[in-house]
Amino acid sequence: MEVEFTDTEFMICNAARLLEDNKTIFVGWGVPQVVAILAEKLYTPNIVQVFEFGAIGPQSRTPFLRGTMGGPSNTYRSLQWCSMNLAFSYAQVGYIDYGMLGAAQIDRYGNINSTMIGDDYSRPKVRFPGSGGGNEVASYCWKTIIVMAHEKRRFVERCDFITSPGHKLDGKTREEVGLPAESGPFRVITSKGMFGFDEETKELKLLGVLRGLTVDEVLDDMGIEPLVAENVVELDPPTAQELKTLREEIDPYGLIISKGAKFKVEL
Amino acid sequence: MEDYIEVLQRGKADIHFVHPDEFRKFVRDKKNRGLEDKLMDEKEAVKKYVKDGDYLAYDFSSLTRGPQSLIREIIRQRKKNLWVLAKFTLLETVLLAGAGCVDKIDIGFLGFGPYIARKVQEGAVKVYDYSNGSVTYRLVAGAMGIPFMPARDLLGTDTMKQSGGIVIRDPFSKIPVALFPALNPDVSIIHVQEADIYGNARVYGPTVATLETAMASKRVIISAERIIETIEFREHPNWTTVPYYCVDAVVHAPFGAYPGGTQGYYEMDADHYLKLTSIKTEEEMQEYLEEYVYSVDNHEEFLEKRVGVKRLKELIQNSQILEGYR
Repeated sequence: MEVEFTDTEFMICNAARLLEDNKTIFVGWGVPQVVAILAEKLYTPNIVQVFEFGAIGPQSRTPFLRGTMGGPSNTYRSLQWCSMNLAFSYAQVGYIDYGMLGAAQIDRYGNINSTMIGDDYSRPKVRFPGSGGGNEVASYCWKTIIVMAHEKRRFVERCDFITSPGHKLDGKTREEVGLPAESGPFRVITSKGMFGFDEETKELKLLGVLRGLTVDEVLDDMGIEPLVAENVVELDPPTAQELKTLREEIDPYGLIISKGAKFKVEL
Repeated sequence: MEDYIEVLQRGKADIHFVHPDEFRKFVRDKKNRGLEDKLMDEKEAVKKYVKDGDYLAYDFSSLTRGPQSLIREIIRQRKKNLWVLAKFTLLETVLLAGAGCVDKIDIGFLGFGPYIARKVQEGAVKVYDYSNGSVTYRLVAGAMGIPFMPARDLLGTDTMKQSGGIVIRDPFSKIPVALFPALNPDVSIIHVQEADIYGNARVYGPTVATLETAMASKRVIISAERIIETIEFREHPNWTTVPYYCVDAVVHAPFGAYPGGTQGYYEMDADHYLKLTSIKTEEEMQEYLEEYVYSVDNHEEFLEKRVGVKRLKELIQNSQILEGYR
């Protein structure tokens, strides 16, 4: 039997499996919102979602409304509504276990670019929206998970612009630049694999690849050579239950999950 | 010297900065503590309190409880050379830049779509990058009457280099810490669910930085879905988000957040959003502005002729969740 799914569906399912129950997660806009809802429905019913505009612990309504950030379905049955100042302060003081973000570029140490492509800040080749709350999530949360499409051009030696911090910033550690100790990027979930960071060198390290892909196929699609774990695990494709929940309950119009290339994998 | 505070890094950005004593004197001399009827329409409020060259802030966003009837009025009055705080923004910057109202943007989140990206790529708008958190902390400092706020974001990043922040070695912990300069906008525009004629205002739902923005700003225009009696505030003082003395003008603006939604009243108009976010060319932008802003005289005419009762009814119907909003 075969299962067919999109890039985005795989990333969402794989990211949802990473989360722990009874923990807090700072949720970024778009894909991370869907990840958190899927995790809450299937794996971590007591996960507490935190949003930058000031919602703590909402049980978001489904179907997921694309673009909603602060509206009634996105903030449904929260434990607290507060301000952005407080939402970020909860993270700065240490209450937020996980953070989840997207990225346009990532480098060897997990630094993220969501600001611009090019080498002239005043006249960028491509301009993106910028940090939003991404910098705070990457600076403050204990463990940040980055979810991004696996494309060669997105993996670079040094981001064109470091919007949000990884483990090393132009040679300096997080602690050296003043960031909270023992925080930082934890996993990078892509449409083809999963990465962590080496405990010693803090470099990007391939930990797993989607079933059906070889390690070389995944590495070929990267602009840098990451470390490779001794035992690279095989990542399961989305399960029937995950796909049913995503396609029927969370995103029946395919606003988020239908994006990206299609995969077929033997079950 | 033991007590010397070491500056480790300085961001490059120009900053809009008001000396805390200058702001205090403004509050002393220009903010009325009397209970004065401040009810007026968008046209009068913008004419009175938004000047060319002003630093403008707003709250919340163009999807949710944003002051869109006021944004359209600022465009209609063709205000110029504004410096805008794009905190948690989505489409306000797109429209203001499209109308040529903006010179500079302090970025938390620049905004959506190819149009505003192109404006920055071409150098038509000057930007300074921060993050949603650091610009909010700037407002917190502005609201507290202090010159800066220390925080631990932007450290080590290129965002810090392009911001108006500095990094010092903290004299207490001895670690590097960022200092963000207080922000005191010339004017802020804030949409709320309920306000009285004096400017007491009530927000339901998450607040982003409603009170901080109002307290930090020299002039504050509130637009409200409903105007209610002052006794309502006295009956539930816990629910007062902004007190009257921060507020200079109160505009009764039903559907004031359209095409965004206001919790407890109406949902956002997703089709209208799609129209806005898909604007690419200058021609498309000018057509949009002509149709939805310049060719109508005011918010009422906009609702009547460009949106229509049928659509408004659908948006009310889509807004059935009331928990927490009453």
